[in-house]
Amino acid sequence: MDQTKTKGYKKIKAWLKANKRRPFQFQEDAWQYYLNGYSGLVNAPTGFGKTFSLFLAVVIEALNASEANSKKAKDRLQLIWITPLRSLAKDIARAMRETLLEVELDWHVGVRNGDTTQAEKAQQKKSMPEILLITPESLHLLLAQKGSSTLFRNLKCIVADEWHELLGSKRGVLVELAISRIKGLQKLEKNQFLRVWGISATIGNIDEALDVLEPNLEAKRVIVKADLEKKIAIKSIIPDDIETLPWAGHLGLKLAYKLLPIIEKSKTTLIFINTRGQSEMWYQHLLNIEPELAGRIAIHHGSIDFELRNWIEDALHTGQLKAVIATSSLDLGVDFKPVDTVVQVGSPKGVARFLQRAGRSGHSPHETSKIYFLPTHALELVEAAAIKEAAKTNNIESREPFIMVFDTLIQYLVTLAIGDGFDDKVIYNEIKNTHAFKPILPEEWNWVMQFITSGGDSLSAYTEFKKVEKENGLWKVRSRQLAMRHRLHIGTIVSDAMLKVKFISGGYIGMVEEYFVTRLKAGDNFRLAGRVLEFIQVKDMTVVVRVSKQKNAISPSWNGGRLPLSSNLGSVLRKKYNEALNKTHQDEELDSVYPLFLLQEKRSHVPRNDELLIELINNREGFHLFAYPFEGRLVHEVLAALVAYRLSKLLPISFSIAMNDYGFELLSETEIPMDESIAYEVFSPKNLTEDITLSINATEMARRKFRDIACISGLVFQGYPGKYVANKHLQSSAGLFFNVFSDYDKHNLLLRQAYDEVFYQQLEEPRLAAALERIQNGAIIITHPKSFTPLSFPIKVDSLRENMSSEELEQRIARMKAESEKIK
Amino acid sequence: MTITCQDEKLILDKERAIFLPKYQLLAISDLHLGKSAHFRQAGLQVPATIAQTDLQRLSLLIKQYHPKTLLINGDMFHHGLNTDIDEFSAWKKQYQELDFLLIKGNHDRLSSADYAAMDINIHERSFCLGPFCFIHQAPNYTEEELYPISGHIHPGVTIVGKAKQRLKFPCFYFGKEYALLPAFSLFTGLYNIYPKASERIFAVTPKSVLEV
Repeated sequence: MDQTKTKGYKKIKAWLKANKRRPFQFQEDAWQYYLNGYSGLVNAPTGFGKTFSLFLAVVIEALNASEANSKKAKDRLQLIWITPLRSLAKDIARAMRETLLEVELDWHVGVRNGDTTQAEKAQQKKSMPEILLITPESLHLLLAQKGSSTLFRNLKCIVADEWHELLGSKRGVLVELAISRIKGLQKLEKNQFLRVWGISATIGNIDEALDVLEPNLEAKRVIVKADLEKKIAIKSIIPDDIETLPWAGHLGLKLAYKLLPIIEKSKTTLIFINTRGQSEMWYQHLLNIEPELAGRIAIHHGSIDFELRNWIEDALHTGQLKAVIATSSLDLGVDFKPVDTVVQVGSPKGVARFLQRAGRSGHSPHETSKIYFLPTHALELVEAAAIKEAAKTNNIESREPFIMVFDTLIQYLVTLAIGDGFDDKVIYNEIKNTHAFKPILPEEWNWVMQFITSGGDSLSAYTEFKKVEKENGLWKVRSRQLAMRHRLHIGTIVSDAMLKVKFISGGYIGMVEEYFVTRLKAGDNFRLAGRVLEFIQVKDMTVVVRVSKQKNAISPSWNGGRLPLSSNLGSVLRKKYNEALNKTHQDEELDSVYPLFLLQEKRSHVPRNDELLIELINNREGFHLFAYPFEGRLVHEVLAALVAYRLSKLLPISFSIAMNDYGFELLSETEIPMDESIAYEVFSPKNLTEDITLSINATEMARRKFRDIACISGLVFQGYPGKYVANKHLQSSAGLFFNVFSDYDKHNLLLRQAYDEVFYQQLEEPRLAAALERIQNGAIIITHPKSFTPLSFPIKVDSLRENMSSEELEQRIARMKAESEKIK
Repeated sequence: MTITCQDEKLILDKERAIFLPKYQLLAISDLHLGKSAHFRQAGLQVPATIAQTDLQRLSLLIKQYHPKTLLINGDMFHHGLNTDIDEFSAWKKQYQELDFLLIKGNHDRLSSADYAAMDINIHERSFCLGPFCFIHQAPNYTEEELYPISGHIHPGVTIVGKAKQRLKFPCFYFGKEYALLPAFSLFTGLYNIYPKASERIFAVTPKSVLEV
């Protein structure tokens, strides 16, 4: 069907024309494909109307259909719009409502996520709107409702917005599973008009992104790519004197004064900071150095109360704010028109993230996005140069989709069981057709079913186990208490228990982690949402505070995930190190760090592209070995464990390990054997898989991974702020479960998943093998600096550490005791 | 490991128990019987084998020390009656001669009839013996002149080595004011304690008890 002949298309064109707008070619293409029954992926730069490319497609089709649908029906739902962030939904809903009103389509737009009120949810239960904007978690909560299977009867389209964000996480799997269920329900009703579309920024594996969303290769599928380019101007903020920049461990506050003129001459500036704790400090600092900004800047992050965030977002829209300090909470496609400048503080760790953030400014088509990079330590300037180059060459990372995540599957099955129940044969076929669970074996499926119905594969070991039971041929959860607990824990984002923070006089401010609160005494001060608060007490899972008279206080450190350097960025970075000393470059950033490179060269050596630098430093703390492969934190973690293991085969030795994105450190109390031949040996790709298995077993990486797995699969409850008081009798830790399963239920697939996650995500074996291959074919340079070097110092400061040992435990304790009488 | 405390000999066993030879008394704390079944009833997959292992460990201790009394220093039962506790009752039948003595802890909420049926002697608050006073939660409360031995918190200790190495173990704690026993059950977590210089800590490793 040629859309140009349809009345819906004509109406939309007329409406756009009345607003002096013309659709882009990719939008018209998407509408046509949609009308022809295609599923697919829209790939366009931010600011070019990706939302309209799909939303209007659904509207056109609706305008074409003549029959009006009944306003009372429960199954009015036409379009599900999945957004990864809550803040996105409100904005898109507003734009959709305006459009619907103007093109006179009597549809309702509903929003559903963690911030939706109870009353609104009840209303939606009675009568669903035609369009529902929803997070993956809330979509699963919908599936957990009784009677949910009828909701999707007339659904025409599911759109996964910012699909590249969801793709590389377990939340993407939540989306895959929900889609598989909705498709299955429609199939049962013999209704099959559902089309699944994604909206994605440019990523390295865009074809795979489509395969995950629509795994049926026989279906009509297409990628609609916009032939448009977004202009981006990148500028580094360079210190007048490199000495003002610390080597490591700082927040960049020393350069803050350089931001003031930038903020002044811009309409509105978004300042991205990598962590919530640091953003609080930045907010405070900017106010300190420029009191004039009071009332004109705000702080926005995930731990700030919903109402407050709402207010900030509204103020951003109306241009009332001069600057907003934000974390990834404002990363995604929110369109704040007044924002014309973006500042990135510290390394963004990836090209895609940097470009995404840049795209927050100059949001309209053909405007230029302007982004400043403010380094927090000297070496980050090299990263800035690398990012610039990668952005120029469009060297953008891939997002690896998750597969075979049993924790998420278990959660999903229980979700279905507390809803309308499920037939295991039907669901098996559905999940077998998702990208995530295509490789699942019948015995693995059986294990999963046993796990939720009888506890595990040995009946005797799990007597009295009750969770999912069969009722009239369907698997269901009977216990209301269990169902309630499950609902509170749907989702795959695992965080520490969070407590709400409230003024004693009333009014919520935000949330802090429980462990932070346990360290506070009455009268202590801390900072949240840009205010200094005095701690009074914890009552009913709520932290009660009053405004403090103090000017300064500690900031809670929220344990957000620390992102590793991407491999794309890593390889460009190595190249930049090459260029830094011989001055064969055009980068002002590299010029400014030149003195630091000279120092590195003087104390040790600046590694070239085809070299691996190893530094051996020996001081009061012990014997240090530093190595710099520039492969990102996660790969270094595995590599460090591998090298430690191989060294410990030469003689019994214990190490503690630290790493950052540039390299890693092994620290021992005894001298580390190292020369060129040993170096080639321990950095060899030979027997890689076996040696890794042996080395990571010892270092308990799997145990750490199991923490999230235990939460997602419902073994361990994370508290829920203010809503759920944990049942004390059922409290335990993921580590305990890890021990129990390791000792008594070795075939537990969740245990296997923990090891798999270590292998495939943490380890990235191909990337590691490639790195070792590169090292083997290059030179290994060993130096013996007298003190820490510009490269080693940042690792030294990093605190993420773990142990690796080949000594007997008792021996180790005895020696530790003998050498250090310190017990903490 | 044998230590002297309040002029009495105490044997600290790596199976998280102490034996008082003079009184032929074996003492453990925080057995949490029925915890695994309680978890299973609530839909959490904890194998019963872990509870069985606890009982096997206790059997080995009884075989080794031949005590006249087995003292459980609180939190013997985790919650209500369940299959784990049925197994315990069956297991207990082989020790008709042994006196089971429970000082009630915060978890012990079974009815008197239930304890009686299992032939367990109850002490509501404490049980004193020689210079010692066994009490589940001691710190805020000391009976005159007697040295309290308690449990409750599941003490653990982290040993920090020179090159930032860390190891964590369950432990015995002997302070000036009171002593703490490690939790007997393997299905328990650890609460880190930070001892002062004058206090003695004995870490329980898989192979032995070591003073740290």
